[in-house]
Amino acid sequence: MKFTKKTDGVFTASKGTARLSVLKEQSVKTVFFFAAFFAVIVVSFILLFLLRDGYPIFVQVGLPNFLLGPDWAPTAVVPLYGIFPLIVGTLLVTIGAMVFAVPLSIGCAIYLSELASPRTKKCLKPAVELLAGIPSVVYGFFGLIVLTDFIRVSFDIPTGETWLAASLLLGVMALPTIISVSEDAISSVPHEYKEGSLAIGATRWQTISRVLVPAALSGIAAAVILGIGRVVGETMAVLMVAGNAAITPDPIWNILSPLRTLTATLGIEMGEVSVGSEHYSALFGIAVILLIITLIINLSAVAILRHLKEGRTKGPAPKLLVSSATKESLARFFEVIGIAVLLVFLLAAAPWWLAAFVLLIPGAWYFGRDRLSQKHIQTIAFCLVGLATVIVLAILVIILQDIVVHGLPALSWEFLTQPPKDLGRAGGIFPAIIGTLYLVMGAIAIALPLGMGAAIYLVEYTREGRITRLIRTSVDLLNGTPSIVFGLFGFAFIVLYLNVGVSLLAGQVTLALMVLPTMIRTTEESLKNIPQSLREGSLALGATQWQTISRVVIPPAVPGIVTGAILSIGRAAGETAPIMFTAVIFSSRFLPDSVFQPVMALPYHLFILATNVPGSSTNKYGTALVLLLLVIGFYSVAIFVRTHFQNKARG
Amino acid sequence: MSESAIITTNNVNLWYHEKQALQSVSIKIPRNRVTALIGPSGCGKSTLLRCFNRLNDLIDHVKCTGEITLDDENIYAPSTDVVTLRKKVGMVFQKPNPFPKSIYENVAYGPRVHGIRDKAELDRIVEQSLRHAAIWDEVKERLNDSALGLSGGQQQRLCIARTLAVEPEVILMDEPCSALDPIATAKIENLIERLKEDYTVIIVTHNMQQAARVSDYTGFMYLGRLIECGKTGQIFEHPKEELTENYITGRFG
Repeated sequence: MKFTKKTDGVFTASKGTARLSVLKEQSVKTVFFFAAFFAVIVVSFILLFLLRDGYPIFVQVGLPNFLLGPDWAPTAVVPLYGIFPLIVGTLLVTIGAMVFAVPLSIGCAIYLSELASPRTKKCLKPAVELLAGIPSVVYGFFGLIVLTDFIRVSFDIPTGETWLAASLLLGVMALPTIISVSEDAISSVPHEYKEGSLAIGATRWQTISRVLVPAALSGIAAAVILGIGRVVGETMAVLMVAGNAAITPDPIWNILSPLRTLTATLGIEMGEVSVGSEHYSALFGIAVILLIITLIINLSAVAILRHLKEGRTKGPAPKLLVSSATKESLARFFEVIGIAVLLVFLLAAAPWWLAAFVLLIPGAWYFGRDRLSQKHIQTIAFCLVGLATVIVLAILVIILQDIVVHGLPALSWEFLTQPPKDLGRAGGIFPAIIGTLYLVMGAIAIALPLGMGAAIYLVEYTREGRITRLIRTSVDLLNGTPSIVFGLFGFAFIVLYLNVGVSLLAGQVTLALMVLPTMIRTTEESLKNIPQSLREGSLALGATQWQTISRVVIPPAVPGIVTGAILSIGRAAGETAPIMFTAVIFSSRFLPDSVFQPVMALPYHLFILATNVPGSSTNKYGTALVLLLLVIGFYSVAIFVRTHFQNKARG
Repeated sequence: MSESAIITTNNVNLWYHEKQALQSVSIKIPRNRVTALIGPSGCGKSTLLRCFNRLNDLIDHVKCTGEITLDDENIYAPSTDVVTLRKKVGMVFQKPNPFPKSIYENVAYGPRVHGIRDKAELDRIVEQSLRHAAIWDEVKERLNDSALGLSGGQQQRLCIARTLAVEPEVILMDEPCSALDPIATAKIENLIERLKEDYTVIIVTHNMQQAARVSDYTGFMYLGRLIECGKTGQIFEHPKEELTENYITGRFG
């Protein structure tokens, strides 16, 4: 505002126009402030409505009984609302997924950041991003058809829908998150450390394992925590493969037992419960607990990463968090625990030959390591790291190959342009494709202006302070909220409270809220990349702040913003949980006439075909392929836009 | 040079991409002496230094020809193990680069990666190296504190201690004082003086007074060539080449 005031009187501009432009500046700023504050409002509304509907169950059953009750039987004659088995289920699935995903991802991250040639890296990174782009319902579909069957046959058990299947599948889904965040952490370890270690005569592997990885440890920890957040909040995939029996496995390490997670319970029961009943309230109680768990997980990861970033840019040395002695004893402790857990699992659950094989490796390592030269150790380590990368790639190839090979025969002009017949066994998926496009377009039309406004306010109009911190935390909270919780919120607030009904509009708004944090962040990032000198140059010419922003700052930031929007579209197109109770119906011969009617959507269609309609094999795969192509298409456009404009910017 | 040479280079050429950074450099580095490499920025002195422990290998698109021998072994021979080479030829960098570990761990890192596990032995090496690097008295009370909490000069001496802990034969120093204040610089220079009893030191420096103060031999480089090399006194007082004289008397550079 200062600038307009200064020109006052100096130039001939009349007082009236000056005041007008001050007014305009003020109102523009206010609009952006509200866009930014919207995130805070959404978070408080989510909390408010979940608590409002979940509160009765806490009163009725009591919080301790609710959390620790051993039985979940909401439809029994005497209904029981104990979510302990569900919490245990979530915990076990998460542990299993991490046991599988952490070594693979860290190996792959090490390969990408330290061993891969630039050209290999250029090919591998999009592959990992692709793995992140596959919609969760497609993962679930693949798990249901291929993975559970594989487990059923290889362990010779009646059904493959087990803890093991859920953990493997969710592990795969967590891979891209952990890989990309830890790769980033390892790559940003200062080059001097590496040179210093190599100059002493450490081998490359010693440098990696003793300098680079330890220096990147908090980043890797944050990566793992984010991966855990992803696993805990996942609904559709786990629902499709975990078997969903609300029991604790017996014995507790029986990985071939079915189990049920918090999220799956919401996904399964929310659609059938009568509104306002005790059961309904119990589901919202679960959502509250789930929200609290994921928020703690995600906020701690965000805190670690932010701390790291500040430590790196501000210069003064971060103190060692724990002394090396405690660190060592901690490491020893976890080593022992890890070995004990491994032993129990092996003896109880795995076939003896696998157990023998797994036991052999650390044994050989323990006795052999003093006899091996550093060179041999390095060779072995590099082989393992390479192996991890190959496995990750193989998983991607297997999933894509299965869906493409089985899905291609289903694709035809008719399939793409006809409504479904015979519960989707025949006919096409035209209404679902259009429904998904409607949902996504609506969501982005709502999220784009809000997200841009919020980002502009955060970057251009304020200094860091209490309000920005509040807004940022809210955005982080929104980002960490599981999609099923958005679904419940949309149902309670938009569908029921605002009385919009199950409709296209309700789905669009719910999806918009879900992608809002992505929108805000990518826009913020691209605005921050605009050099300060541009702004100063414009302001020095007497442009107002809004003129500077709209004519100088935003135009070069457009590619970044477009990328963010497309990524959001991709994410929204693949999501099932948020629209399941707010917008979709399974079968409709017609397109909606207005935004107040429900629609069909691809992910939901696939979900129902896969779980409830036997004998629709070709159409299932066809739907999965179309959904996959749609989402991957969006992502590839986003990646293309990003690289294209990056290259352009570099000249 | 009459003294026995520990490192000898013969006709070394080096290219970054298309750009030639070293042109037929032939130099002998005498054992247990301090040799300084001086010259204007971009003359290739750091590049030459980084040839001695093959740290240039880390950079893409570097091509190197010619012969460099350490104790009469060609270090660019295919059979050379760079790890062993770097154990023998330690390096101290321009900017102090302690690892984000404790002081103790920084020094113990080298011995550890070379297979020493015995705690008492490690303690001994750490103390001895820190003493040798003239920093023991300043840090002995806080060996378990983060090395990043030390001042710049202390960090640099810690990095020297870290290098000494591996017991190299040669220590390369790439402008080790350029990021330090005069007092810290004086400490490092005193240290270099004492180091030559046990080690061969090669130091790259921008500062001619420093070269004159600490070195026994001096090589002057210009545009990738070694122009002249000899006893420090002779180079500074009676340079044979006109280029050297111009540089030393401050007519360019």
